Amino acid sequence: MKRIAGWMLASPATLAITLLLVLPVAATIGMTFGPSDGGPWGIVQPYANFFDSAFQRRVLWRTFEVAGWVTVISLAAGLVTAYVVARCPPWMKSTLVVLAVFPLLTGVVVRSFAWLVLLGRQGMINEFLLWTGMIEAPLSMLYTPGAVIVAMVYIFVPLMVLVLVGVLENIPEDLLQASSSLGAGPVASFVQVTLPLAVPGLIVGAVLVFTASFTSYATPHLLGGSRQMMMGTFLQQRAMVAFDWPGAAVVAAIMLAVIVATVLVMTRLARRLNPMAT
Amino acid sequence: MTLPLTIDAITAHYGTTKVLEDLSLSLAEGELVSLLGASGCGKTTTLRLVAGFLQPTSGRITLGSKDLTRLPAHQRDIGLVFQNYALFPHLTVRENVAFGLKQRKVATAERLKRADAMLDRVGLAHLADRLPAALSGGQKQRVALARALVIEPPLLMFDEPLSNLDAKLRVDMRVEIRQLQRANGTTALYVTHDQEEAFSISDRVAIMHQGRIMQLDTPEVLYQRPANAFVANFVGFENLIPLTVSARNGALVTAQTAEGAVLELSQDQLGPIPDRFTLATRPDGLVVTTDPAASGLPATLGLRTYLGRAYQYQAKAGGLSVVANSALSQPLDAGAAVRLTPNPEQCAILQPE
Repeated sequence: MKRIAGWMLASPATLAITLLLVLPVAATIGMTFGPSDGGPWGIVQPYANFFDSAFQRRVLWRTFEVAGWVTVISLAAGLVTAYVVARCPPWMKSTLVVLAVFPLLTGVVVRSFAWLVLLGRQGMINEFLLWTGMIEAPLSMLYTPGAVIVAMVYIFVPLMVLVLVGVLENIPEDLLQASSSLGAGPVASFVQVTLPLAVPGLIVGAVLVFTASFTSYATPHLLGGSRQMMMGTFLQQRAMVAFDWPGAAVVAAIMLAVIVATVLVMTRLARRLNPMAT
Repeated sequence: MTLPLTIDAITAHYGTTKVLEDLSLSLAEGELVSLLGASGCGKTTTLRLVAGFLQPTSGRITLGSKDLTRLPAHQRDIGLVFQNYALFPHLTVRENVAFGLKQRKVATAERLKRADAMLDRVGLAHLADRLPAALSGGQKQRVALARALVIEPPLLMFDEPLSNLDAKLRVDMRVEIRQLQRANGTTALYVTHDQEEAFSISDRVAIMHQGRIMQLDTPEVLYQRPANAFVANFVGFENLIPLTVSARNGALVTAQTAEGAVLELSQDQLGPIPDRFTLATRPDGLVVTTDPAASGLPATLGLRTYLGRAYQYQAKAGGLSVVANSALSQPLDAGAAVRLTPNPEQCAILQPE
């Protein structure tokens, strides 16, 4: 009886996930396989075709690189910020958290646009540098991977701070006291106690940020342009401009595979740094 | 290594609340002193001040010839055992024990050897490769003890180390703590709210109340000769009877309550008795007799409870409420008129405050 009730309770969500996620993903992946006599690689010939193109390999590598840098920079910036916030008295803590989260209230498109205004040829940064005389001609900062990285870090750091404040707050105070009573200074305590215990949170944050930046579309579209294409913009171009649905499905499947592989590697790494992390 | 600890006129505040006032305490080399009191009495605050987790408003703390008062916690060289063990969950038992040696830049091979030797001493050598999560409470506390001892600190401090363990284990562990502390000859400060625990393992006990030490003495003196009403009450002298001496005859003293009830006491048994004093007695220290001619406090019995070895009576003696235990085989009913005679072995004389 209890088991039936359990199944009944779980069924709406299970049904929704099956209909809206599992089936479409399965259909998309199904679409990526070619006929068995389609070429030397058999049914995986479409994937071989993708990796045959130097352009497409570059898009994949660029996406990987950009997402990697965004993740690393967000981790570092988020950890430092969260460490400071977690150590504040309670009233100040809530204020700082609200301030950190404030940018999340605006959409990703709007926030990417803000960087368009800042980084453009006649943008505020160029205007300022020209006015001070530090440069003579405007720098071209837009439509570079750097611009995409800067904007994405700006978008994802609040998320990272939120995740890490929670994790750092949960590290018991007396572990740090024990560490200092055993002779570890503030830096040694941070490296040997706080950091390993924060690993589960760092992994959650890294996975969130890596996934979101690897698959992002709006920011690379606005700040990377068509010359600095990333997997998200490339997918859109394949599907909506070239109407090459099987090709777009291959791109989607490769993105999925990269993300799953990255998550697995990060979890493995986490377990080596902190055997308690799962 | 062992050093004496001196806490000199320490005052401490949490925000604007004063939690310790002008507290002084000295521990001789190798001595184990307990701070005993209810929660909020300032015992843990004192320990945290010595550990360096809190800063005093005024006063000085010295360990041997080293002034600790403004020294950061990690330079104090004190072995600390926490109530909830505070083991590093991401390190194995061996790495936990070796942690302090690592901070002291002891070479890897040497520190693992010393950690293993210390684990052997606390009987946990076979668990060295486990993570703390896989240990029982008693095992965790042993690891915490080994971790504090392996750095050979001149001072050991314990913050309610046994309160998360079950009763049987508490007794075993406190014996073990005492043996290790004795064997190393390390000076130790031990914080607890458990009177039996404090009395059983300490050289001296400081009973604390509202940020002050009410009495600092050996357990025997505290138990038999409390210095004031607070300590008397704390160690189980539940009845406090104010008396005035009306006649002296050699060692024999006749004293009266405010209502005129007369008691006869012997200075041979109770020590010198001043003219005005308070007689403190345990419930066992008031003998219940139904003989109206006997000397003692006239009293009326109230509620009776059964303790197994005796009956306990709530009684009214004039304006005083007292508690008396009586091993009488026949229980007495509420309202019975009795005499309560002090048994000097369960009594103490308190000087007027």
